[in-house]
Amino acid sequence: MSKHTYAGKAAVVGIGATEFSKNSGRSELQLALEACVAACEDAGVDPKQVNGLSTFTMETNPESEIMRGLGIPELTHFSRIHFGGGAPCATVQYAAMAVASGVADYVLCYRAFNERSGRRFGAGVQDRPAGATSEEAQFAWTSPHGILTPASWVAMFARRMMHEYGVTSEDFGAVAVADRRHAANNPAAHFYEQPITLADHQASRWIVEPLHLLDCCQETDGGQAMLVTTIERARDLKQPAAVVEAAAQGMADDQHMMRSFFRDSIVGLPEMGTCARQIWETSGLSTDDVKTAVLYDHFTPFVLAQLEEFGFCKPGEAKDFIADGGIEIGGRLPVNTHGGQLGEAYIHGMNGIAEGVRQVRGTSVNQVDGAEHVLVTGGTGVPTSALMLGPDR
Amino acid sequence: MSADDFLAQLRAHVGAQGPRHEARHPITGTGIADWCDAIGDTNPLYTDEEAAAKSRHGGIVAPPATLDIWDRPGLPAQARFRPQGLPAADDPRSKVLRMLENAGFVGVVAVNSELEIVRYLRPGDVLTNTQTLEEISEEKQTGLGIGHFVTTRQRYETVDGEHVGDLLFRILKFRPGTGKTAAADPNAKPAPAADPALRPRPAINRVNQALFDGYRAHELRIPKCSECGRLFFPPLPRCSECGSFDIGYAVASGHGTVYSYTVVHYPQVPGFRYPIVTALVELEPIDGQVVRFLADMVGVTPDAVTIGMPVEIEWLDSHPAQVEDATDSRGPISLPQFRPATPTRRAQTLSAAEVSEGERLPIWTLPLSPTHIVAGAIATRDFQDVHHDRDLAHKKGSADIFLNINTSLGYMQRFVTDWTGPEAVVSALRVRLGAPAYPYRPLTFSGSVQSVDAGIGRVVVAVQAVNDLGPHVTGTVELELPT
Repeated sequence: MSKHTYAGKAAVVGIGATEFSKNSGRSELQLALEACVAACEDAGVDPKQVNGLSTFTMETNPESEIMRGLGIPELTHFSRIHFGGGAPCATVQYAAMAVASGVADYVLCYRAFNERSGRRFGAGVQDRPAGATSEEAQFAWTSPHGILTPASWVAMFARRMMHEYGVTSEDFGAVAVADRRHAANNPAAHFYEQPITLADHQASRWIVEPLHLLDCCQETDGGQAMLVTTIERARDLKQPAAVVEAAAQGMADDQHMMRSFFRDSIVGLPEMGTCARQIWETSGLSTDDVKTAVLYDHFTPFVLAQLEEFGFCKPGEAKDFIADGGIEIGGRLPVNTHGGQLGEAYIHGMNGIAEGVRQVRGTSVNQVDGAEHVLVTGGTGVPTSALMLGPDR
Repeated sequence: MSADDFLAQLRAHVGAQGPRHEARHPITGTGIADWCDAIGDTNPLYTDEEAAAKSRHGGIVAPPATLDIWDRPGLPAQARFRPQGLPAADDPRSKVLRMLENAGFVGVVAVNSELEIVRYLRPGDVLTNTQTLEEISEEKQTGLGIGHFVTTRQRYETVDGEHVGDLLFRILKFRPGTGKTAAADPNAKPAPAADPALRPRPAINRVNQALFDGYRAHELRIPKCSECGRLFFPPLPRCSECGSFDIGYAVASGHGTVYSYTVVHYPQVPGFRYPIVTALVELEPIDGQVVRFLADMVGVTPDAVTIGMPVEIEWLDSHPAQVEDATDSRGPISLPQFRPATPTRRAQTLSAAEVSEGERLPIWTLPLSPTHIVAGAIATRDFQDVHHDRDLAHKKGSADIFLNINTSLGYMQRFVTDWTGPEAVVSALRVRLGAPAYPYRPLTFSGSVQSVDAGIGRVVVAVQAVNDLGPHVTGTVELELPT
């Protein structure tokens, strides 16, 4: 596979978010519009100049409503990415491809929901859907057996990981401790000034064994948007550009939606491996060039698997890589410096891209020295996406 | 009459020794075989003349747990089935029990049974039993209700006067509706075991229809390419190997091993009992191909499940009988579950030297149906209505029919002697009963070696049988193994 030709030709020039809460008190559409407006203001771009939108298939706010709400006169690009939390980095990738190819000038990537006060993903399938599409039929092998939620799917992989690699619940806990330490410094985080200890993690109740409550991300009301344009336009805007050095989507052999239980081995994340290969090939970078990363953390165990898929350590060795504060600020590779989805907010990974942009700009609350190239990943266990952001030079 | 006066009347019988009661018929091979069928005990020394002749017993023997079943009066123990002219039993316990029933203590459960085996019984033996009423407790508040414990000792001899065994037996007679536990509430019918009708429904379509039809037929079907024979799961309309759209299926044995598992605590939705153990199972190879399958588990506690554990399929039906031609997602449904695999019976008997203290027996889960309970009661010649008549069981303060103590003892004996092998000689079976064993609540047996005296071959195994209400049986089996 060759380098992606749009790489280096587009940049994230604006980021905007609502506050992150447990009850926003307003519509999901309003959250989306507020986030989009904030991203445009951050970049110094009039929303009317936007002519592309990219979001998730799970997004409830149609592009037409966003367009009308922002007063956009004409859209030339609108795209949606499937598979839930696997989508975030791909929204930026599609935006980058659209602007680099001249299909659109300014593309807003957005995601907004009342995921805590409205429909909660963690509630699982509580009704009894009897559908017939192949999309619905995927759940036929799990839902009737009580395997209903992302936590229950991830737990199956985590248990096997413990069995094969000798990973322990305390190792998973180290990820939660790192996230919450970072969130404690972040005024925008739900868990601002609320760090946890490993003992807190161990004492938290079971959700789906081997996952404790503190292995699971939050449920959040909020919205996050990013504005993407060409590198040339970026140079005339308010903020330093965060260049899309590489972006990728990935599915791998015998892929399922968070339930790839039927592969020969289930301890890795081959779809993330597909992303990793493209990211390294296209960016020309290596793990040595990356000083901080935002790794999707809906559940702690897959943070370990991502470190292995991207080659920061060998398979089975992530538990040693993260030991002794290895992924905390000051460690080998500080991860999720905004607090992650466990500590800051769960906006389906979109808030992680914003943190990647802040690290490139040098404005993170937990700024990592020399953080030039920042790796950001999408949801794990699902068909996914990844992004390498870097400075304009 | 005051409670004290009543107790005094009851206790006037303590110490009384009954008449030497003689069994109506000799022990028969048919009776033994029926017991073995009900308990599922396939030890050949009980039924196979040839194998038994070569054994240390030199011929067919009765299972040791049957010591106290042969001299029972059978159905005439119930007054309405007693032939005219046959007097009511006049042993001390029967007298005391009638007094208790007349005073409203109509509920009954066995609490302790301790069998000491002096020699194994044989077909043709005619047993006698001499009973001593040992103790009657004062009125006590128990979980099941207010009642009295009645303890007897029975000495078993053959008609020729040969001492063959002893029994210590304790039952509780209680007033229905005076209990403290939910299980004691006669209005609280037992929740069906995780009702599949309430569960999230599978989306059934043309691609997966054949597999769900299989569920209804209690067949675990795995998609199979009709062209190249490749197995795969979940189903797809096309074989990705050879490209054929001609997809059939193979039927899996339902045996496999746990590849990974979880224990679901939250969120909790209707149709399940929480926490749920769910397992990703590697099925036994079909045509040399290994396929994984997922389901919830039954009959295993979260701390007992392990990766590598052998499991087998169990079917959970939303309906009493299998339904033909159910075609949509809303009708009756059957779902596969996994349970721990039934341990295989050891053919070559363990020697005492091969057994070590603390050693655990492979766990055994028994999905208990009404048929298990009724067949067990009848095969142990126990015609107490609470073991076969659900309506009367309700009236007598029980949520459902429940397993009689002799069947529990039988299962315990089978569990341990399947592990030791056929030639182990049981010298004692001692149990205390706790939670009732109701239908549809799987019973899981676990055990560990409590002591080993390799010199004389004496081994004691501690056994527990647990259902979701708690420990049903706690007891020990004392055996002699070859040295």
